[in-house]
Amino acid sequence: MRVRLAFALGLAAAPLTAQNGNPRLAGRVPPAALPAIDSIIAAAVAESLPTEPLVQKALEGGAKNVPADRLVNGVRRGLLQLRAARVIVARAVPGQAPPEGHVAAVSAALARGLPAPIVERLLTVAPNEAPGPALHAAADLIAHRFDPDSAADLLVDAHNKGLRAGRLLDVAVAADHELQRGGGRSPSEALAHVRAMLPNVPFPKRP
Amino acid sequence: MSPIDPRLQEALDGERDPGELPTDLREAHARLIAAAQLVSGTPQLSVAARVMAEIRQNPARVEAGSPLLRSIRWLGRPVTVRLRPAWTLALAAGLAAILLLPFGPGGPVPGVTKFVGHFPGARSVEVVGSFNDWSRGALALNDDDHDGIWHADAVLPAGQHEYMFVVDGERWVPDPLAGRYVDDGFGEGQQNSLLIVRPAAAQP
Amino acid sequence: MEHRDEAPREGVTEMVNNGAPDVEVVARVLGGDGEAFGILIRRYEPGLLRFATRMLGNPDAAADAVAESLVRAYRHLAQCRDPERLRSWLYRITGNRCRSHLARRHTNDISLSDAPPLADGSDTWGDLERSEQVALVERALAALPAEKREAFVLKHVEGMSYEEMAAVTGARIPTLKMRVHRAREALLAALEEVVR
Repeated sequence: MRVRLAFALGLAAAPLTAQNGNPRLAGRVPPAALPAIDSIIAAAVAESLPTEPLVQKALEGGAKNVPADRLVNGVRRGLLQLRAARVIVARAVPGQAPPEGHVAAVSAALARGLPAPIVERLLTVAPNEAPGPALHAAADLIAHRFDPDSAADLLVDAHNKGLRAGRLLDVAVAADHELQRGGGRSPSEALAHVRAMLPNVPFPKRP
Repeated sequence: MSPIDPRLQEALDGERDPGELPTDLREAHARLIAAAQLVSGTPQLSVAARVMAEIRQNPARVEAGSPLLRSIRWLGRPVTVRLRPAWTLALAAGLAAILLLPFGPGGPVPGVTKFVGHFPGARSVEVVGSFNDWSRGALALNDDDHDGIWHADAVLPAGQHEYMFVVDGERWVPDPLAGRYVDDGFGEGQQNSLLIVRPAAAQP
Repeated sequence: MEHRDEAPREGVTEMVNNGAPDVEVVARVLGGDGEAFGILIRRYEPGLLRFATRMLGNPDAAADAVAESLVRAYRHLAQCRDPERLRSWLYRITGNRCRSHLARRHTNDISLSDAPPLADGSDTWGDLERSEQVALVERALAALPAEKREAFVLKHVEGMSYEEMAAVTGARIPTLKMRVHRAREALLAALEEVVR
């Protein structure tokens, strides 16, 4: 642990690759969009928000030949999402600086349409774990038309029974499987079946 | 050196049945194949020991990724982490994120991902996404048996990735097999495919 | 269309009968298991050594070139973005290495004085000992310019398709076909000289 801390502190001392005139964007986004994007990224830096999702969004827009104004709007939307994510993380994990990995993961979940209260609930259950898998599992369940609160209930149960990370994704898969079974099962029946299996939900199938 | 009959060239290129060739060409065909066979013996020697010795002595690898991460070397800690931009979001930003990441002996463990798409009649299919900085020409799918099913394997770091297929160089298509999609945020309702890669070591 | 269940696709591994596929081994090496690179060495060195020996005409030089190439491949493994094409990538590195070795000899040809002696012109092919036949073919290959020799070897010794050869050499397929065709002509001519 001490080594890792020293490593991390050393890293903080190392000069951050300057985000001004981000070299990765040169030649990849329309020049007209660059000043606005640079200032959005600078804002993220100043607010201690992760910048990589914004750089990725800019690169994506450039690759897709999105017109400059829509490209900038897309990157700006990303910043707003990161800000919203940080608020949620700070509420769920009070008393410490929101971990930036958490902020990016929550932002991604919000982009998938996961309701903020569900995000908060899942974060609160495991504030110190990487939240990505639980949040994506919840988003998967909701995408398969399970009720958000019931989905969160199931995932909290799974977590309480020791399931972590990728195994939470397996819970979502199992629920979808149960729903697809012939016989016209209802979502709540499907969730009940999976709850009964916990913690022994199936592992992902190999082709 | 006189030119060889084109039919013989075609047969040797697998574009013509050698059985169709006239006798003299068939003999020449056999002679060439036999000659190639003669020099196809596998050498007995091995360089494995020597290569592994070199690697063990100096296990450092050249990393892809941002200059910030390459500068980690000067901290004196041998880092064999293989990183892609997706992970720089944690490292470039903060201390707590590093402490929370599941660092194994080699850092975040990449996983194996198979991309498959059914695009009959396509001339080219590639994957463009967050794992290759949305660069064109970085990850092409192959349809070697021309059955319209294109595929590629890639080693991606564990974590979340957004991507699309680009067909024939210009048609952007979400991956129908992805199962997860997210609006790309550029206002036209276009969806990116979303992929979650598990660490290879974690699989049963 | 391959069948898939409703699950969103996760990272999957496939086990094949003859060992883990390249992509999986690459993943292990990049994950920190340097020893796993040994699997790739054992898998590919026979072909790479055979290829390099044909290119350089000399097994020791070939061993040096292949060893250097494999070390380089290990160091740059993170840059092999398409592990499905690992084989082509390794051959590409080795081909480049062989070309550097040849350039350092100030010739792209293998010295004919190193090449084995020609059989007596009055022999027919069938009269020759197998070792003499091998020597004759080797000499004919050695006499070829490097590009044509490389193209012939990749096609007829390593058994590559023109597509893979393009990935290995960086040359276009029509160019490669021309080189292979010319190499065949030269080889046939050399073989025909012996046959009376």
